Amino acid sequence: MRKFVESIRRLWAIPEAGILAPLVVCAVVFQSINPTFLGESSVSAILRAMAFVGMIAVGQTWLMISGGIDLSVGSVAGLCAITASWLMKAQGWPVPAGIAAGLAVGAAAGLINGVLSVRIGIPAFIATLGMLYVARGLNYLLCKGYPIYPIPDALKEFGRAEPLGLSWAFLLFAALVVLADLCLRRTVYGRMVYATGGNVEVAAIAGIPTTRVRIACYVFTGALAAAAGILLMCQLNVGQPEIGTGWELDVIASVVIGGVSLFGGVGTVVGTFLGLLLMQVVRSGLVVAGVNTHWQTVAVGVIMVVAVGVDLLRRRTKIS
Amino acid sequence: MTTRLQDAAATPFALEMLGITKRFPGVLALSDVTIQVRRRQVHALVGENGAGKSTLMKILDGVYAAGTFQGSIRLDGRPIAMRSPADAKTLGIGYVPQEITVLDNLTVAENVFVGAWNGRGARFVRFPRLFDRAAALLERNGIQLDPRRAVATLNASQRQLVMIARALADDPVVLILDEATACLTRDESRTLFRIVERLRDRGMTTVLITHKLAELFEIADRATVLRDGTVAAEFDRSAFDERRIVAAMIGRTLDAFYPTRDSRIGDGEAIRVERITVPHPHVARRNVVEDVSFSVWRGEILGLGGLVGSGRSEVVNAIYGRIPSRGSVWVDGRKVVIRNSFDAKRHGIGLLTEDRKRDGLLLDKSIRENVSLHDLRRISRFGIIDRARELDAARAFVRKLSIRAPHVETPVSTLSGGNQQKVVLSKTLFAGPRVLLLDEPTKGVDVGAKYEIYRLMMDLAREGIAQILITSDLPELLALCDRFLVLARGRVADTFTKSEASDARLMLAATGG
Repeated sequence: MRKFVESIRRLWAIPEAGILAPLVVCAVVFQSINPTFLGESSVSAILRAMAFVGMIAVGQTWLMISGGIDLSVGSVAGLCAITASWLMKAQGWPVPAGIAAGLAVGAAAGLINGVLSVRIGIPAFIATLGMLYVARGLNYLLCKGYPIYPIPDALKEFGRAEPLGLSWAFLLFAALVVLADLCLRRTVYGRMVYATGGNVEVAAIAGIPTTRVRIACYVFTGALAAAAGILLMCQLNVGQPEIGTGWELDVIASVVIGGVSLFGGVGTVVGTFLGLLLMQVVRSGLVVAGVNTHWQTVAVGVIMVVAVGVDLLRRRTKIS
Repeated sequence: MTTRLQDAAATPFALEMLGITKRFPGVLALSDVTIQVRRRQVHALVGENGAGKSTLMKILDGVYAAGTFQGSIRLDGRPIAMRSPADAKTLGIGYVPQEITVLDNLTVAENVFVGAWNGRGARFVRFPRLFDRAAALLERNGIQLDPRRAVATLNASQRQLVMIARALADDPVVLILDEATACLTRDESRTLFRIVERLRDRGMTTVLITHKLAELFEIADRATVLRDGTVAAEFDRSAFDERRIVAAMIGRTLDAFYPTRDSRIGDGEAIRVERITVPHPHVARRNVVEDVSFSVWRGEILGLGGLVGSGRSEVVNAIYGRIPSRGSVWVDGRKVVIRNSFDAKRHGIGLLTEDRKRDGLLLDKSIRENVSLHDLRRISRFGIIDRARELDAARAFVRKLSIRAPHVETPVSTLSGGNQQKVVLSKTLFAGPRVLLLDEPTKGVDVGAKYEIYRLMMDLAREGIAQILITSDLPELLALCDRFLVLARGRVADTFTKSEASDARLMLAATGG
């Protein structure tokens, strides 16, 4: 018995435990309500749905650990998708050039966000909220409010392909999660991100180029937002101006559920991945269980607040 | 009031804590501690960090409620039981905590009567009345502060006075000052003590918790020394003796509290700064440091004297590239350009900042992650951190500086002040500096750890590392340094060697005499 209690305690002390437990509980509950829930097609759908918001959430994880935040990610994703499709359709750019330009726009938006908030000192919340409006506006100016199609066949094929029964978008996202998690945990650069977010003065005294680290996280997030927007464009097969609307909220919710501190310095990419998974499981589960879809939104809100509450509780028990 | 006076006749003690025992899971924090504080006395409570002072004070302030510890507390001879700090306040315990918690944007009067601005039954704050009440209270206790002044414009010692006035507003039986002088200069402390003396003359009983023995000699009538949760010794003023008190605090005698230097100052200049000027951060055409030049030899310890605000900290922070400055710096005879801390570190300079909680440590990270921070390249290959090498490095410093912690993975926030400071030192030393800038390295550190830090400084001197020491502890400065540079209002006021140094000369220069 004592051994059992001890092992539970140790599990509880793992940072990601706070999300893993409810994730397992939710999966079991939904599976018992509807046995098709953990079926192949359902799981595949859950995973595929995560890819776009998930990709941005990885960037946002780095960014929030470094002490920043980016509210403009959804709008930037939309702008980049439209920019890429517009360049390829209306300007006749070749596919690689169009995609590179889309990514560059995302990185540039991130750079502007970073410079405004880190160098000039405009609070990140305000600077990136501004970018949210600007990017959304530019998006509609560019496409005049109409979807851009058709997009090149190569991209159509790419978006429709089902490697391993999943999608390229998900596989790219999965690879990104593994790589970003390892980099954050194991590399000097990752350590610099944690230090900068933990205490920027301490990091500066240690000789870490904190300004550069913080701006780089914004650029990284912007580029990933662009990638997510362009991937969704491939899957939808059309440059839809509404791409990315409201994503910023899902992104931040999943990062926070995953255990990243709003004050920086704490969190992991794996945690964010579990946070995304929990959100998606609850959403799909409620659909499978036949609940009114609007309850999904309620559930996400509740989960986020509860997750942060559980995390606080966990930290408290660990210290005393 | 009459009942209090009548009871007073029954016992000569204002406050008694009898047989206090407090257990935490796995730890005996206090074991049968008895302290009796005589009326109208200043009773000092001294001891290292972790000796149990804080626990005892938390019991007295009602943070640990009655019933969670054994033993009894009597105030003016009557037993009291407290369930919360609010109870303690009503019963007559005037506790002034170590941290200064004032509301910057309010006036002195509002801060003094914080939470009780409107008096009984009134729904609105009547400011004229509030100011009058505050003025009367300050006047009565000899505290010279304008009740209408915004607290934001006050300095550290004046803020401390606001905190004391706040405690006095409830008309306490005993006043408890917890490390009240931690952030004050010597002069400011003196002013504070004069007020404490005046309060004593008017009948107030004071418990003074302190690290600084000099304060004990200056003001205390009686002292209780705590060690490892027990009373190690008690002294009356007539029996005060520095060596005996220190011995009681650390449980062994120190042959000499300050280690003597056993190495020669090396050849060659380690660092030379010429005409360092630091402009005032907010005021145009004013400098906080002006034309300061000096050099330090290898293995030498230079003491940077002066009052708080004289520009001492600014000099070292400017050298380390943390604040903008003009002037030039030579390291090992080569002129270097330092635009930021990265440059400073690259040229072999290390800085230990004044406030380890603010900018010294990543508090929720482990000892391991803190120690390695200043030289991540050394513990990595191709940008990937080698965990084994990092662990070895951290363990080596834990051993070398005898950092007392359960494990190298322990978060530094859970360590005592002295051990935290050793982690900051490890972190700075890990980068292998040849010039070390030490800004208040023993602030908020217990006596045992202080001694270990002094010994480390001597070891570093032997290794040929040049050190610049800033400390508000005058005996410490005089004992450790080979040469002195005293600043007053941002300029060099005096410079002299150890043989020419004296307490008086230093203070005279610092106060611009």
